[in-house]
Amino acid sequence: VSNNVKITSTSTRGSRLLGVATLAGVVATLAFGLLISPPDINQGESVRFFYLHVPAAAGTYLAFLVTAVSSILFLWKRTRSATWDRLAGASAEIGIVFTALMLVTGMMWGRLTWGVYWRWDARLSSTALLLVMFLSYLAVRRLEGTAEQRARRSAVVGIIAFLDVPIVHKSVDWWQTLHQGATLKLKDSQINGLMLFSFFVGLITAVLAYLWLMMHRNRIGMMDQALDEHGLELALQERRAEAVRA
Amino acid sequence: MMYAAWLKEDQGLILGGYGLVFASLAAFAWFVARRGRNLAKQIPDEDKPWT
Repeated sequence: VSNNVKITSTSTRGSRLLGVATLAGVVATLAFGLLISPPDINQGESVRFFYLHVPAAAGTYLAFLVTAVSSILFLWKRTRSATWDRLAGASAEIGIVFTALMLVTGMMWGRLTWGVYWRWDARLSSTALLLVMFLSYLAVRRLEGTAEQRARRSAVVGIIAFLDVPIVHKSVDWWQTLHQGATLKLKDSQINGLMLFSFFVGLITAVLAYLWLMMHRNRIGMMDQALDEHGLELALQERRAEAVRA
Repeated sequence: MMYAAWLKEDQGLILGGYGLVFASLAAFAWFVARRGRNLAKQIPDEDKPWT
């Protein structure tokens, strides 16, 4: 499109620092999750999935919350901007990865504690539905139409899909499920000491990974938008040139 | 204190779970970075506000 290309990546000093912090978090999660934290008195060694599964769930909630808030800001006339649509799409893509990881680690943990990988109970079913809904959201983003039409349609779908997040979270309270209730509570928490610390290491790592991915994915979105605009400009130039030749 | 007794039990699923999570995140990060590099070569620098 242009000869004026000196920057050939989405990296900056800030994103590289964030990447290093994320890698340090991964190493710390591996150390605390696999080696340093003690086994649980009830669950034994399978509790090590807690340091993966719950941070993945937190990453899922965070990513889809950003999608929902960005979608609302896009639909609201006062704040309507392509930026919100771009952020919503980028965050949903990352949220799908976190949801898949939450489901897979949950299944593995379930195999060790329940003896089965899957049960159609409320928590598992609502989480599977969440994954399907946000996959549908990405499909809607790729439907035909102008950028404005696609953004508006996907914003509505994104908000509807997000309604499943509180259902997923509260499903263990609202229905009788095989899945255990909340471990972390403001009062009478079921976890403390080194296990709580290990959990926070995993949680911070998940948030750092989300931020790193979001930073790069958002920049990809900016370039996609620019490429669309340049593509249109080029097509118009070619048409004009054809008209002049004719 | 190190707790490594778990290596004898359930090690396949626990190690597999950790491996799968971090390998998946690394693969996704690599995919995102590669997509960014490919696009950045096609777009003029004035359309890269992070620079």
